[in-house]
Amino acid sequence: MNIHEYQAKKILAQYGVIVPKGGIAYTPSEAKRIAQSLSSRGPWMLKAQIQSGARATGHFIDHEAGSKGGIRQVTQISNIPYETAQMLNNRLVTEQTGDKGRLVTKVYVETYEDAKHLFYAGMIIDSSIPAITLLISDAANKDIVQLAQREKNKILRINLEYNVGISDKQILQILDFLSLDKIYLRSFHDFFGKLLFTFINLDAKMIEINPVGILPDKKLIALDAKINFDDNALFRHPDIVLMHEDFEEDTRHRRAKQCGFQYHEFSGNIGCIVNGEGLALEAMDIIKYKGYETACSLNVKGGVDKDKIAAGIKIIMTNPRIEGVLINIIGGFLRCNLIADGILEACEDVGLTVPLVVRFEGTNKNEAKAILEQSGLTVTFAENATEAVEKLLEQMEVND
Amino acid sequence: MSILADKNSRILVQGITGIQASFHVKRSLETGTNIVAGTSPGRAGENYLGVPVFNNVHDAMRQFSFDASVLFVPAMAVKNAVREAVEAEIGLVVSIASGVPVHDMLEIRDMLKGSKTLMFGPNTPGIITPKQARLGIFPDNIHQAGSIGIISRSSTLTYEAVLQTNKAGMGQSTVVGLGDDMIIGTDFREPLRRFMEDDETKAIVLVGKADNAYEQLAAEYYDSLPDKKPVVAFVAGESLPFGHRMGYAQNIITRGRVTVSDKKRIMREAGILVADQMDDIHKILTELSL
Repeated sequence: MNIHEYQAKKILAQYGVIVPKGGIAYTPSEAKRIAQSLSSRGPWMLKAQIQSGARATGHFIDHEAGSKGGIRQVTQISNIPYETAQMLNNRLVTEQTGDKGRLVTKVYVETYEDAKHLFYAGMIIDSSIPAITLLISDAANKDIVQLAQREKNKILRINLEYNVGISDKQILQILDFLSLDKIYLRSFHDFFGKLLFTFINLDAKMIEINPVGILPDKKLIALDAKINFDDNALFRHPDIVLMHEDFEEDTRHRRAKQCGFQYHEFSGNIGCIVNGEGLALEAMDIIKYKGYETACSLNVKGGVDKDKIAAGIKIIMTNPRIEGVLINIIGGFLRCNLIADGILEACEDVGLTVPLVVRFEGTNKNEAKAILEQSGLTVTFAENATEAVEKLLEQMEVND
Repeated sequence: MSILADKNSRILVQGITGIQASFHVKRSLETGTNIVAGTSPGRAGENYLGVPVFNNVHDAMRQFSFDASVLFVPAMAVKNAVREAVEAEIGLVVSIASGVPVHDMLEIRDMLKGSKTLMFGPNTPGIITPKQARLGIFPDNIHQAGSIGIISRSSTLTYEAVLQTNKAGMGQSTVVGLGDDMIIGTDFREPLRRFMEDDETKAIVLVGKADNAYEQLAAEYYDSLPDKKPVVAFVAGESLPFGHRMGYAQNIITRGRVTVSDKKRIMREAGILVADQMDDIHKILTELSL
């Protein structure tokens, strides 16, 4: 689960990390009021709240938003309502959002901080070790990923021992890497200690501060903040669940999630229904191999509720981009006949207007086939995933 | 022969009275799996599906000794269940539930360090040696005893791999589900090592997927082996679009080597036979003329 920058900063502040003073604005006049209450004079920062990085270099789709990105420095108080109005209710596209971008519904207003020595800090789990790994780089924003690939020594990686914390030796390593004096030892130790404590305490999978700055009093300040939480551990953090915002997801994703399923959208015209992440990947790979693209993929996992399965299938069937549906199921715990029942129910509700190819394997495979055969629906059966894709593509071509 | 579990393995089931557990324990018993005891807090003294039940692993150890434990406990109880098994020095733990918090896995991996326990999962169909031992939730009637070892990072594609070895007419020696999760108990290398030493296993099928670096580790290990049996691999997720994630850290941590094509290239360079499609696996196996 992701949260917004302003929420992440609020959490970090609770753990003692220094962040700029700020407030969240839903209207231009509110932005002005907040700016005035924060500081009698500028500059201020206006930051579009979408759950994505690279907002500064992003662009708005809508012309009225002007040519500037989603992070704006404003010096005159009189310009704040205008700049805020440009961003609100427009879609911001960044290199992390995809082409559709994200709708900006609120703007975070902050005081501008005169911090020096800006650098990148990320805390993330490296699964191959496994360890919580601290990533440090003094590179400017968008070059970091390229650096990670090409110039390994430009990013410092420090593996932190679980339940041990961060040592002075490791802090000295960071200072050395950033060419900073040892006088910062204490403030760096304090900052990263708090970051790690937050990370462990809240079951985070990632905390990213891009950038961290050093204030005149040598203390560190988080000028930005991103936190990603482990969905599987949210039961331990009811207060964080409350921060979740549904509308960052679209309706189809939300509906699938309500059924306990996974739903993903891509750029093509074939809908896939599967019962496992691997089967989804397999189907998508074969489709791509044959020169086509998947439109959307629904993973019903080990679903056992017929109504939910029907609701899930409807999500796929009613996607307007769909020109064919592929169902690839290997029943283990999940029984194939439940999927067949779900298909019937969904087709009765929304009709079947595109070719449908089904591959059943495993538990209750034959019962499932019999259900569909007796239903009168136009369904084609296949023995394996490759055959299923081939048969579907044949039928889609005939339909053209 | 086989690896990790066979008909003589004495097996404990932790969380034996749950709905999923009951369903699968029954099936495992029917296929001859030697399940000798189960645990379920507060249910000590009961006889469940013909298996004696204890409150915890410690109590069960007073009467029995175990070669392996299968965990059917819910995700949030996995950490403590593994701890019990590690303290009892049970050699093999297979954890089925999905949804184990990743920080719990960090702690579990810490516990496993230097212990006598090898853990598979979480979020795995388990381990099966056909006709001998079924430790998990594998579907009925797809397994055939044979000569191919399977190690898979994807639960459902494990079954596809099984069907491929059947199609090649070779069957399976042992099938090992590593688990789908980001952090797993054991990666490809340990079962790979055991398959190399197992007389009955003639070749190995590896199933990998996008994300994480486990396939690279397997390739490096395979490359370093002096004597090796043929390994056929499939890596799912080539068509996944890259990126669209919040923040940079995710892409940095893998040093940009995370793409499926990169994994395939690294595996090929290590001498692994990489199948472009799942359905090519049986053809490659047949061509090996084992």
